[in-house]
Amino acid sequence: MPAVGDAIVVEGLVKRYGDRDVVAGLDLTVREGEVLAFLGRNGAGKTTTTEILEGYRTRDAGTVSVLGEDPAEAGSAWRAKLGIVLQESQPLGALTVRETLRLYAAYFPHPRPVDEVIGLVGLAEQAGQRAGRLSGGQKRRLDVGIALIGRPELVFLDEPTTGFDPDARRQFWDVIQGLRELGTTVFLTTHYMDEAQVLADRVAVLRDGKVAALGTPAELQALRGGVEIRFELPPGVAAADLPVLSAAPDLAGGAVRVETGAPTHDLAVLCGWAEARGIELGNLTVERPTLEDVFLAIAGDHAEAEA
Amino acid sequence: MRMLAEQVRADLIAFARRPETLFFTVFLPVIFLVLFEAIFGDIEVSAGSDYALTQSTLQVPAFMAMGIVSACFVSLAITMVNRRETGLFKRVRGTPAPAWLLIAGQGVTSLMIGITMVVVMLLVGRIAYGVEVSVDRVPWLVLSVLIGAAVFSCLGMALASITPSSEAGPPLANLLVLPLYFVSGVFVPVASLPDWLSSAASVFPIAPFVKIITWPYDPAAPDIPWSSVLLLAAWGVLGLIVAARFFRWLPRRG
Repeated sequence: MPAVGDAIVVEGLVKRYGDRDVVAGLDLTVREGEVLAFLGRNGAGKTTTTEILEGYRTRDAGTVSVLGEDPAEAGSAWRAKLGIVLQESQPLGALTVRETLRLYAAYFPHPRPVDEVIGLVGLAEQAGQRAGRLSGGQKRRLDVGIALIGRPELVFLDEPTTGFDPDARRQFWDVIQGLRELGTTVFLTTHYMDEAQVLADRVAVLRDGKVAALGTPAELQALRGGVEIRFELPPGVAAADLPVLSAAPDLAGGAVRVETGAPTHDLAVLCGWAEARGIELGNLTVERPTLEDVFLAIAGDHAEAEA
Repeated sequence: MRMLAEQVRADLIAFARRPETLFFTVFLPVIFLVLFEAIFGDIEVSAGSDYALTQSTLQVPAFMAMGIVSACFVSLAITMVNRRETGLFKRVRGTPAPAWLLIAGQGVTSLMIGITMVVVMLLVGRIAYGVEVSVDRVPWLVLSVLIGAAVFSCLGMALASITPSSEAGPPLANLLVLPLYFVSGVFVPVASLPDWLSSAASVFPIAPFVKIITWPYDPAAPDIPWSSVLLLAAWGVLGLIVAARFFRWLPRRG
């Protein structure tokens, strides 16, 4: 049963195509007002899951509650509380930005004013331009505008920034940040780790139709054994001469890599050792693993599926 | 109602801003009427009646029929397929808009386009060729247009439902109507067709439509062709069943 404060509750969701379980017992809870990034390689079941939550597809097993209702049975009052940006969709190219939003506003019981939405998605200059003549990024922002016109409580964004240039992506991120400030729950499917890192309160990583990891970006990063210390083995120093650290160092050529759960201690030992010998450690770096490293480790090795 | 009005408004704008659909749907039947009047207008068709009826008169309602078929069947089917296959229907399904809105919106839009063409041809026929319809038969003309628009919209929805892709839309729709224009009394008077061809054509929906819409223009015509009305209505029902049975919101791919 969904608790108060949960926008989406999924338990044991299964979707079968032929004899393949595309979604294989997925459990997930999305809290009200949070931005959840839904990550996974192509074929992991992201879009299928999203479309079940949106009410487009039926499921084969499990329970799903979205804003307190089962999407398979919910009606138009439920849809009025959602904003959906599909992975692919074309607005009517012949209508202008303003005409398009005006049409969609007519579908909702309590729409936002069209000009307010135009401002929210940053299309004021293009308001009179036909949708068919917008750039890819502008079209996508119009798409988000359509999703926002009905004052949604929950917004689904399926790979919204695919094909964006870096500027367009940053502008888009501002739009999502704005949504968060409005208290809107956002279910964001994406391929981009930097996007998840910037926008998401929590990240769910999907693998083989199940949630393989779920947590804040920092929590997920902590899963990957902590911090990496790298440096170059000083000339004339053998590996055996290095001080004892909390984890055994990896050596590749002259490069030393230590993955440690106690970086402060290990750095102190290492620096003390080097200082005592008058050695400068070349290329010394201390790094946390990026979310991308974590994702690659969790999401599995389906590199060919990415192509 | 406000929702439907907004939908029709948007659909009309979208229609009017696409030059290719505007040309093929609206201008082509009018251009055809003018050409056919110039070429065949003088041919006498009033064999054995007291009236001097020429092809000039009968061509006006015949091309009105073409206009209705063009707007409500060809253009409607192509538009519906395009919108489904580009994901527009799917997008709208994610909003509280009711299911009937897109169908009703496009139906009303096509009806308005069709009526506009009928009015244009009525005026062209009257002003350029002196073709008149007697006042007491005007209600029947109006009724014919409405029946035809309803039936061909149902058939257009049916065709859209079974058309697999955007690319298949225009050729499929035109393949169905072009031969029928020739054998149903639009391009060629039914009287000059071989019997087997005209009786074969009379089964399909364009021939009975031409017959009922021509009736108000032909003083020599016998009673109201009720059998044609029934046949046309049957086609409409069939279209409705096929449309409802095979209707899809989602594009074929995804």
